[in-house]
Amino acid sequence: MMNPILEMPLRLAVWLLLAPLLPGIVNKVKAWVAGRRGPPVLQLYFDLAKLWRKGVVVSTLASPGFLLGPAVAWVAVVGAALLMPLGPSLAGAGFRGDFLVLIYLLALARFCTAWAAMETGSAFEGMGAAREVSYAVLAEAAIIAAVLSLSVQTGNLSLSTMLAPAAGAGAALLAAGLFVVLLAENCRVPFDDPNTHLELTMIHEVMVLDHSGPPLAAILHGASVKLLLFSVLLVQAVLPIGQFAPWAGAGVLAAGVLGVTIGVGLVESLLARLAFRRVPLLLTTAFLLCLFALLAAWKGGPS
Amino acid sequence: MNPGPFLLLALLALAAGVVGGPRFPRAWLGVSLTASLAGLAAALGVLLGAPDWEWRGVWRLGGEAIHLRLDGVSALFLVLLSLVSGLGALYAREYWPDAENPSSAPRGRAWWSVLTLSMGLVLLAANGLHFLIAWELFAVSAFFLITLDARGRATRAAGWLYLAASHAGTLVLFAFFGLLAARTGSWDLGPMRDQPALASLLWLALVGFGVKAGVFPLHIWLPSAHANAPSHVSALMSGVAIKMGIYGLVRFSGWLPAPRGAAWALMGFGAASAVLGIVFALAQSDLKRLLAYCSVENVGLIAAGLGGALLAGAGNEAAGGNLLLAGALLHVWNHGAFKALLFFGAGAVLHATGTREVNRLGGLWRAMPWTASLFALGSLAVAGLPPLNGFVSEWLIYLGLFDAAASRGEAAGPAGLTAILIATAGALALATFIKASALVFLGAGRTPATRHAHECGALMRGPMLFLGATCVFLGLGPLGVWPAIARAAASWGGALSPVGEPPVALAMLGRAQRVLAVAAVVVGGALWHRVHSGRHRRGVTWDCGYAAPTARMQYVSGSFAGIVSGWFTWILRPARTLRRPRGLFPAKAFHLERVPETVLERVLGPVAAVFVRASNAVRRLQHGRLSFYILYVAAGLVAVGMFVWVGSLR
Repeated sequence: MMNPILEMPLRLAVWLLLAPLLPGIVNKVKAWVAGRRGPPVLQLYFDLAKLWRKGVVVSTLASPGFLLGPAVAWVAVVGAALLMPLGPSLAGAGFRGDFLVLIYLLALARFCTAWAAMETGSAFEGMGAAREVSYAVLAEAAIIAAVLSLSVQTGNLSLSTMLAPAAGAGAALLAAGLFVVLLAENCRVPFDDPNTHLELTMIHEVMVLDHSGPPLAAILHGASVKLLLFSVLLVQAVLPIGQFAPWAGAGVLAAGVLGVTIGVGLVESLLARLAFRRVPLLLTTAFLLCLFALLAAWKGGPS
Repeated sequence: MNPGPFLLLALLALAAGVVGGPRFPRAWLGVSLTASLAGLAAALGVLLGAPDWEWRGVWRLGGEAIHLRLDGVSALFLVLLSLVSGLGALYAREYWPDAENPSSAPRGRAWWSVLTLSMGLVLLAANGLHFLIAWELFAVSAFFLITLDARGRATRAAGWLYLAASHAGTLVLFAFFGLLAARTGSWDLGPMRDQPALASLLWLALVGFGVKAGVFPLHIWLPSAHANAPSHVSALMSGVAIKMGIYGLVRFSGWLPAPRGAAWALMGFGAASAVLGIVFALAQSDLKRLLAYCSVENVGLIAAGLGGALLAGAGNEAAGGNLLLAGALLHVWNHGAFKALLFFGAGAVLHATGTREVNRLGGLWRAMPWTASLFALGSLAVAGLPPLNGFVSEWLIYLGLFDAAASRGEAAGPAGLTAILIATAGALALATFIKASALVFLGAGRTPATRHAHECGALMRGPMLFLGATCVFLGLGPLGVWPAIARAAASWGGALSPVGEPPVALAMLGRAQRVLAVAAVVVGGALWHRVHSGRHRRGVTWDCGYAAPTARMQYVSGSFAGIVSGWFTWILRPARTLRRPRGLFPAKAFHLERVPETVLERVLGPVAAVFVRASNAVRRLQHGRLSFYILYVAAGLVAVGMFVWVGSLR
């Protein structure tokens, strides 16, 4: 255990500073598969710095909520990240039911993003917001089933104790289910294509069409923190991170996150985006995978 | 502090309101607020530690001595009643003024006082017969308030439906209280857990109170009544009146021995209400109807928590059960606060634009900034998002369900399933309220109705501000209300050990909520400052290069809810009329979609139609021709004669 006064800033720094690395890695993997050189791994850092210095164009229809939405969404995502333990050495001060706060903070972020999207009165952005909040229904059911399986498995209700041991019998199911949820919640292929800019086919990208400058920077940074958050959740849910020595645990976690990120990149390179009517089907599959993981945890007996 | 004098003061004030209300609007407001404050003082006194208050009168009503009692559970509901009825009285003064409604406004004041008084008596009555009298008075006065402006056909229909459904429920309650009195030998109400013979009666209570609470599928009257009533009445109905049904459920599930099946039923129907209620809400395009269906969801949440608490009590899992009970009770307050806020907001919109149809609204934030921000606050709260109050009670319920699931006890499977269903309902609520608030307040106005919108005045804004502040306070300081909830839970009387110290996690949750609120304000301010200190300008919304965008091209209710309604067509059964554009110069094309109240129109309607047809067939016998009547009598006589003759042969 670390000094709590030191721990909080350290965890905050890890989340804020390392998160923008992930989209860079995904893009590098995609470039590598396609045989291109690709943008530098640190590209998102440059983009964020540039956006922060830029001016802003605000829609004539938009209320102050257009600017507050991205700010609150960023706070919510970072707050959710701070609840997530980072391996045994940076587990944080968890409490019973903290995972629910995490899930609902992500919901708050969704509310704020969708709100800001609806501010513009654009049909495109309405479309994106409607898709985002609708598909989230299935994703949320899957996440709750996943954490339920973890809490049944461990008999515990706080993240640091739930995530420390291995996932047990249903590990493979849980990993598959959470990976699909990760792709959906972070708007990656096959749910959404972060590369296209054709409004009709997008979910998340279309919601942020009208944002620019610092608010867009907050949105992009928040999205990268969310990707890191889901990768960390996936790795810790499946691997027995708590049983390693502190620094070995951190190393395993980092390697796991790198693996997940490369996996995202590979999926993005090898798969096409799904037709929209197939999206609920895939998400339902993810939900069922998590549900079966729950059943496996149930039948497996207490660990 | 003895609550007796305060209750007497409230009673006298309300009685004065009934008598003098129609003639003296100012004085009526004064006595209504006095009654609210007195009721609040009495109830808070009990919740904050005063002993239960009990009073037996010497007078008799219907042959029974008057017996009143104010304990933790009734005090909890009395707080809500006092708060919302007082704020509603203030709101009504501007929303439903005498100048515009010379005949209905005075009537409305008197009925408002009757309704408040009768609900208060329901909460206090400790005698089954008097409970029924107060209950009937409450049902009837609510009918007169719903049909306050009876010019509209829809309002009259809603009123009749409410009255019919309400009385169907009351009929069941008559049976319930009658059988209870017959089996115990007394009309007195109190804890009766030691008499196992009474267990089966709880089923009657579930149905009778379930109708009033609006648990799916007994909710049929609720959407139209809440949508068509004047908005201050809707707020009182949705915030408090349906809670009287919840009060009955809480009261008698604690006092009577609870059969396990009843607990399962509460949990199952509660979870089903939560999901289906919000699915119907999402599909609505009438703002107040949407809010009404959302009440079905929240009532379901409370019922599921209560059912879970009963199950946990039966299975000796006190820790999880206490969390569930506390969550359900706290949600009574929370839902009362944010639903009244939202109905007040909807009323302000209706007042300003003359329409409840969200597809005709849009962009109102500019004209109504206060209403818009308070409605947004209410939306965040009702969607159960941190750091507001809705999340605290949902969190408690979730935690209880997870406790039950993780303990692998008897209730583990259903608890897990309920948790998943509630999570689904939560995500759907988010979608619903993004839709509702965004279509009304954001974007561009869709029709001329929005052009002359105006912000509501101080008397309508004040109650909304107060309720908004309540939502924030209950969210940021959950520990502050714990003693009150624990007091109510302790007098519930169910098989749970009394709730003692607040869970440690609740303190942590409160801290997390406060940190979140501060961080949101700081970061929001920082980003705001950054944007406004740099270059910034206004420009048109990016429209893909389209030359002539209009406000009608924005997303509307049906398009926003389309994906989810597609998943639920099996229950929503939308009626669609589509006329596609035809030919080279299409003249007319439209797409109409209406989501009916499925249980009422697709299930009860056909059944009722069969009855009507049968009755019509029978009615042909009744045609008014005397000669045929004589024939009937003769035929009857012959038949009876034959019967007697055949009998005598044996």
